[in-house]
Amino acid sequence: MSSNPKQAGTRPKIGPIDGDPVTTHPNLSALSPVQRGLREALLREFMARKAKKFVEKQVQYINANRQVAESLMLLFDEHGQAPGNMPLEDIVEERRQLEYQVKWFEAMLLEMQTRLLRVREIEALALDVLERAPKD
Amino acid sequence: MAAPLFLLAPPRSYTSLMNAMLGQHPQCFGLPELCLFNVDKLFELWVRASDEMGNEAKTRHGLLRAVAEIYAGEQTMDTVRMANHWCAARQHATTAEVYQELVEKVDPLITVEKSPAYTVDIKRMFRIEAAFPDARYIHLTRHPVGQCKSVMSLYDGTFALVVNSIDFLEDRAIVEPQFAWYDLNINILNFLDTIPPERQMRLRGEDVMSDPHAYLGKVCRWMGLRDDLDAIEQMMHPERSPFACFGPMDAIFGNDPNFLSGPTFRPHKVKVPTLDQPVPWRPDRKPLFPKVVELARELGY
Repeated sequence: MSSNPKQAGTRPKIGPIDGDPVTTHPNLSALSPVQRGLREALLREFMARKAKKFVEKQVQYINANRQVAESLMLLFDEHGQAPGNMPLEDIVEERRQLEYQVKWFEAMLLEMQTRLLRVREIEALALDVLERAPKD
Repeated sequence: MAAPLFLLAPPRSYTSLMNAMLGQHPQCFGLPELCLFNVDKLFELWVRASDEMGNEAKTRHGLLRAVAEIYAGEQTMDTVRMANHWCAARQHATTAEVYQELVEKVDPLITVEKSPAYTVDIKRMFRIEAAFPDARYIHLTRHPVGQCKSVMSLYDGTFALVVNSIDFLEDRAIVEPQFAWYDLNINILNFLDTIPPERQMRLRGEDVMSDPHAYLGKVCRWMGLRDDLDAIEQMMHPERSPFACFGPMDAIFGNDPNFLSGPTFRPHKVKVPTLDQPVPWRPDRKPLFPKVVELARELGY
């Protein structure tokens, strides 16, 4: 057990914004209206940048679908055979790339299926509750 | 029940590495970031905290991974699902009760944890002390310039923004991580004022990075643990921790993503910058705040 617990220190902080930042809304009373506006603008700019990065990433994933199709065209001719003069290294590289993309799609599929299951459960529960609710 | 060890430090202060290294000691069990003491009751971890910065599902990943590993011996999507059920069954328990249950489960190993979020609010650290009156604490420090640069390099300084580490220039607001570095260290110091000296230790992260054998041995002796070569050698391999990698899809994180993608430790001399140079993250190129310089000197920089 702790021996002789003392009082917590009282050293002051220097941040301009007070409050429990993560769990609740911060106390903005010490800020002027202009500062509050500037803070809002900073938060909005940050969120916009975050959203932009997210969209850019998603677009890359969508493009991956097209890239897979293009990769397949490289590997097979009109008879479904690999071109005779294709270097082995290229084939190995294409195979690796395809395996990677297949794994990625499988992971995405699994994640979406899991989410779908959850949403279905929630939907079923919600409908169940609605059915049981007394009608006016 | 073995009293746990908590590392207290602002984020990006070598905490992930230190936590995993200490956790690899044969008598210890290194946990991911549980963030349990952020809240009183377990279900509150599932409650959206703020409308401003979005939902933080990541705060639960460490707990889910820990439960999966401790109770099922592996971290997969199935065991994470089990961990979610485990949590649901305890949703109205206090986080202290939940933490004590985990500590008992791995006993006699000593749990080691760091959740930088604990240092955001002194109340969170008091929750630790109330749950574990024999707990030990290491205050891990990092030079303000190194720490702030590191904070700003991760997700555009999200952490600093989340804790309202904002400065106001004439015509705009900027993210200024110095406030967070200072205020979080002050929170730690104010809290540690209530803890007897024999249960607390202060370490400079830079020193551990450059001479790990000496400083890890010092920590072992302070904790009353083995400090032989074999034990130290095991601590030099944080990458062997079951939490030193990304988790399954449902609980990917539980730690700093940079650490998860490269957890191997290589001893290196850290270049400690001076305290009077212009800081690189400020557009006006001003140096550190005088108060920050003062505290940095007090912490040995």
